[in-house]
Amino acid sequence: MGGDTKATGVSRRGFLASSASTAAVPLAAGVLGAGAASAQAPGRAPDPRAPVDMVLKVNGTDYRLPLDIRTTLLDALREHAGLTGAKKGCDQGQCGACTVHLDGQPVLSCLTLAVMAQGKAVTSIEGLEGRDGTLHPVQQAFIDNDAFQCGYCTPGQIMSAAACVEQGRAGDEAAIREFMSGNLCRCAAYPNIVAAVKQAAVVKTGRA
Amino acid sequence: MRPFTYEQAPDARAAVQMAAVPSDAHVRSPVQFIGGGTTLLDLMKLDVMRPATLVDITPLEKAEAGRIQQTPQGVRIGALVRMSDAAEHPLLVQQFPMVAQSLALAASQQLRTMARLGGNVLQRTRCPYFREIAYGQCNKREPGSGCAALDGHNRLHAILGVSEACIASYPGDWAQALVALDTNVEVMGPRGPRVIPFAELHKPPADTPHIETTLVPGELITAFNVPASAAARRSLYLKVRDRESYAFALASAAVGLDLDGERVRDVRIGLGGVATVPWRARKAEEALRGQVLDEAAAEKAAEAEFAAARTHGHNDFKVPVGRQTLVRALMAAKAMEV
Amino acid sequence: MQPVPPVPPPMENMGKPDPRYEARSKVTGRARYAADEPVSNPAWAFLVTSAIAKGKVRRFLADEAKGIPGVLAIITHENAPKREKVAFFGDGGYVSTSLVPLQGPDIHHAGQIIGVVLADSYETAREAAHRLRVEYEVAEPVAGFRSPGAQTVELAAVKKSHKDVGVGDIDKGLADAAVTVDAEYFTPTQHHNPIELFSTTAVWNGDELTIYEPSQFVYSLKNCVARQLALPPEKVHVINPYVGGAFGSKGAPTQRTALVAALARQFNRPVKLVVARDQGFFITTYRAETRHRVRLGATPDGKLTAYGHEGWELTSMVDNYDVAGTENTAEMYASPNVWTKVNLVKADRNTPGFMRSPPEVPYMYALECAMDELAVALNMDPVELRRINDTMKSPINGAAYTSRSLMKCYDEAAAQFGWSRRDPRPGSMRDGEWLVGWGCATATYPTNMMPSAARVRLGGDGSARVQVAAHDVGTGAYTVIGQATAEFLGIPADKVVVELGDSRLPPGPVAGGSMTTASACSAVKVACDRIRERLGGSVPADPKALAGMFEKLKVGSLEEYAEWAPPGGEKGLAALHEGRMGGGSAERGGGTPKPAMFAFGAEFVEVRIHSRTKEIRVPRITGAFAGGRILNPRTARSQYLGGMIWGIGSALHEATEIDEKRARYVNANIAEYLIPVNADVPLVEIIMVPEVDTQVNPIGVKGIGELSNVGTAAAIANAVYHATGKRIRDLPIRPESLV
Repeated sequence: MGGDTKATGVSRRGFLASSASTAAVPLAAGVLGAGAASAQAPGRAPDPRAPVDMVLKVNGTDYRLPLDIRTTLLDALREHAGLTGAKKGCDQGQCGACTVHLDGQPVLSCLTLAVMAQGKAVTSIEGLEGRDGTLHPVQQAFIDNDAFQCGYCTPGQIMSAAACVEQGRAGDEAAIREFMSGNLCRCAAYPNIVAAVKQAAVVKTGRA
Repeated sequence: MRPFTYEQAPDARAAVQMAAVPSDAHVRSPVQFIGGGTTLLDLMKLDVMRPATLVDITPLEKAEAGRIQQTPQGVRIGALVRMSDAAEHPLLVQQFPMVAQSLALAASQQLRTMARLGGNVLQRTRCPYFREIAYGQCNKREPGSGCAALDGHNRLHAILGVSEACIASYPGDWAQALVALDTNVEVMGPRGPRVIPFAELHKPPADTPHIETTLVPGELITAFNVPASAAARRSLYLKVRDRESYAFALASAAVGLDLDGERVRDVRIGLGGVATVPWRARKAEEALRGQVLDEAAAEKAAEAEFAAARTHGHNDFKVPVGRQTLVRALMAAKAMEV
Repeated sequence: MQPVPPVPPPMENMGKPDPRYEARSKVTGRARYAADEPVSNPAWAFLVTSAIAKGKVRRFLADEAKGIPGVLAIITHENAPKREKVAFFGDGGYVSTSLVPLQGPDIHHAGQIIGVVLADSYETAREAAHRLRVEYEVAEPVAGFRSPGAQTVELAAVKKSHKDVGVGDIDKGLADAAVTVDAEYFTPTQHHNPIELFSTTAVWNGDELTIYEPSQFVYSLKNCVARQLALPPEKVHVINPYVGGAFGSKGAPTQRTALVAALARQFNRPVKLVVARDQGFFITTYRAETRHRVRLGATPDGKLTAYGHEGWELTSMVDNYDVAGTENTAEMYASPNVWTKVNLVKADRNTPGFMRSPPEVPYMYALECAMDELAVALNMDPVELRRINDTMKSPINGAAYTSRSLMKCYDEAAAQFGWSRRDPRPGSMRDGEWLVGWGCATATYPTNMMPSAARVRLGGDGSARVQVAAHDVGTGAYTVIGQATAEFLGIPADKVVVELGDSRLPPGPVAGGSMTTASACSAVKVACDRIRERLGGSVPADPKALAGMFEKLKVGSLEEYAEWAPPGGEKGLAALHEGRMGGGSAERGGGTPKPAMFAFGAEFVEVRIHSRTKEIRVPRITGAFAGGRILNPRTARSQYLGGMIWGIGSALHEATEIDEKRARYVNANIAEYLIPVNADVPLVEIIMVPEVDTQVNPIGVKGIGELSNVGTAAAIANAVYHATGKRIRDLPIRPESLV
């Protein structure tokens, strides 16, 4: 069993990643099919506490980070990659403040292991703005509609809102409200958030 | 969270091999498969689950386990399909409405995007005494330690299928549809593949609440086969909850009807929010089969099912609310245009 | 009047609806909240908290935790240094609880801090905290009102400054009444649950300590920690430009900060603590549960003859925290006879504290439900009952209201809501399987102020910088302070740079009591007025003229530091520099009666209740509010909006559930502690009633951040009665209330 050579391989010895920037690194593919019992390299004791070298592709940039295997994608972004836009509001998948896109899909980065996000495109709030400083239509719509107060849940709200618009789910208010219900806002800017999503959807589709 | 070794499995067979290290059926088994990870990582952070090995099964989604396919008998749904994808799959939406609806009404869009169906049916209870290690008494977490929920706060706890050892409720939604529709579960294990009826997957707590399923240690769910039927077509999922969205069910009902005019030819009922396991309401079904379905018949059926309910104070209301949820779902299913 | 859209048009006595000053940094993720602050090579702290509510730590079994590679220290009462005790803020000190952790083995409440693990990584610190085993000696705790052993004390007996307000003779008033109401109400424990977690990052630079922590009062935190660690206050800095929601939870300093700062000093390394969501329920404050008995008497035509209100509030064993909302409710309606009494009930719980409209939410809930009950008993429209008892002076001391637009709010909101189409008979407005109910209630909030300082600098290029250690907790403080500065100087708002949330700036008010705008902007006005005076009365709009004046004055910029105190509050200026609350109009009792200063509103809600399964939904809610001058209708509208939705949660969802046997919160997370989600809020309409008040303060503004969440719960409970005929007096109202 050779495994998928494009897949990301991991073993107890440590972590070996395959991505555009690390294509030359030999894969641990052989290990994958061998079963856990034989997954260790001969003569080396498995040390689950040893840092694992990971490569995360965030907003188009590769970050090579030696991380504790337990590190969540959220903590990897915030504490190791210096990207503090995604917020920790519960660390239990309950509030949505940590929402980022993984291969374009909105996910909770606090319930995603960094090691499992490798080989995927991570987009965080920092990646929405154009390189020339142009705001994403959703960001602009949030400003225009005062769709936040304290602003703490806002990066997560905006990432969900961008997915809502992108997936064509901003057709009616009820659909927007349901889609946005995974993002708690204690300041309760909800109706303004709905207004912002509607505005951004119009910008995207050109239709009112 | 304890440290763990992490390995990625390219296919089901490899996954099962990787999991074939000393393991047991306990909730806290040292080897865990990880898909979406939405329950597992949460419980690991709380130190409730402490696996030493995580086997990542997400690569399986590239094969059959990631697909929904029509079969001669009905539909085969891969265990690595995302909740969000199944919730909107046209075949499920049209031919198995309760299946699609139970997914659409669950959790939040982010969680539905992340969570995979195999893991979804194994979602762990929200009982706070299980989820918080500060509580010394939890038979599910620490067999023999007792159950703090019995004299604790038990508003969200089960009233059906409970025991003296555990009243934790099963929190999921989708499983209610699966149990109602006589689904079969495909499993890959150390001794090869096997098929088990969904109704036999979950074990009521009895005196071993720490063993939640009949899966052999190391076994992996790979697919669900849901047979097509008239009752599956005329079906719906009704979820009663405190909030309009993103809340666990206080009571829910997956109801499918095969009607001959007003008369019930066949009926399938799964109940959620009220039971320790995905609950097939066989007593209610029995009371309805062959009867003219009207409010009185529905009330009678609901009463029959909830006659065995055992409450513990804060959850007393789940008897009337559970009964009325079933009645409301039955009447709504009857009124459906199919 | 029409409801105000998210982007409001210009309105009477209102400033410009400018977008938020800090909007761009918030939508791009660049706004730096406390835990976002990058520090070099931090050690991570994780709290160990008590599993039991009462008893003792017998011993720690720490070998397993200590043996984890990367663990730097495990601090418990066995090895923690002795700490200076600082008084409870309610007793004139600082801290949210007088219980100093790690000073002994005794446990006073569940979730009490009994240890801190310090490690090289967050993951390791958390693991070790979980693996630190604790043996306890368990005693039976008092969980709440219903627990055996709960002791009740009269507030007046334990708090010198409290006097139960009243006037006339309640017994006579009730005897004279044609119709009476005598009912008991209950409000549950609630936690603020701002989405931002509680966190503390402490960094030492020589003998100077910098703290990054979410705070509603950076001067208080600075001075508190200085005292706890025996440091000169000028050696402590608190930096927190953005607060991720607070609602009272980040007002009084908690005990965690000094712990973290001491560890950072001991280990000569920055230390970072991000408190887990569940632990936050126990180590900070909350809105305690309350009970009420309200008695009302009225003449047949609805004139109040008596209002009696007795409240019971839960507090901890170690501190007497009270909200004493009768001080405000007694001012609401014209009644010749008013009797009030406040009691505290002591339990083995963490000490409660401020939570959005601390006194008004529970006490106005009880009064406004009772008013509805009285209207039903009188067979009178509840709006008319309020009109009949509306008053322009305090029923207690006769002081005149500076302004009161309550009935204007009722009339505007009622018209928008369509109240005249209401059939008053309970259960009469059914829609298919759904029971429909309409209800209303009064919202109110006192106008509080405290002293503030501010520094304003005008540059020769016509730009300005305003500095005050006030806080924008989402209220719009950056925006309105910037707008006010621009207005007072007579320059465009986009020329103003605003700096807040930093204890190195001139002291500002606590972001509490809805007094930031009134207090800080009053100080800003003094500074701006002086700058304009130095320029001969105004800042010339022509840049050349301005440059010429600066040349003549031989300055590059004009800077003024100003201090302002509300009338009679001058002695509070010293307290301000020490980060103490005081000297403000929030202080009551003694002296000449100050004018009655309140903002008002009226709220109307529709509830829908499924006839079988009893889910309760609020498809629409309409509120009209008058809060004096509104500096920015866009941010003000958002405050009203958020407040009413908060009120929906308060009525239908929010309750911290308590295990009565173990005195522990069982839903200490935000999956089971429910707050409204987007889907719960289909339609919220806000009407802003113009109001001019020249007496409250120099700028004519009232506090509005805590106005609109008052009254919502009562309006909903009243609507539930209208829908079902069932009077539910205990919150939250959930399906089990109605089966």
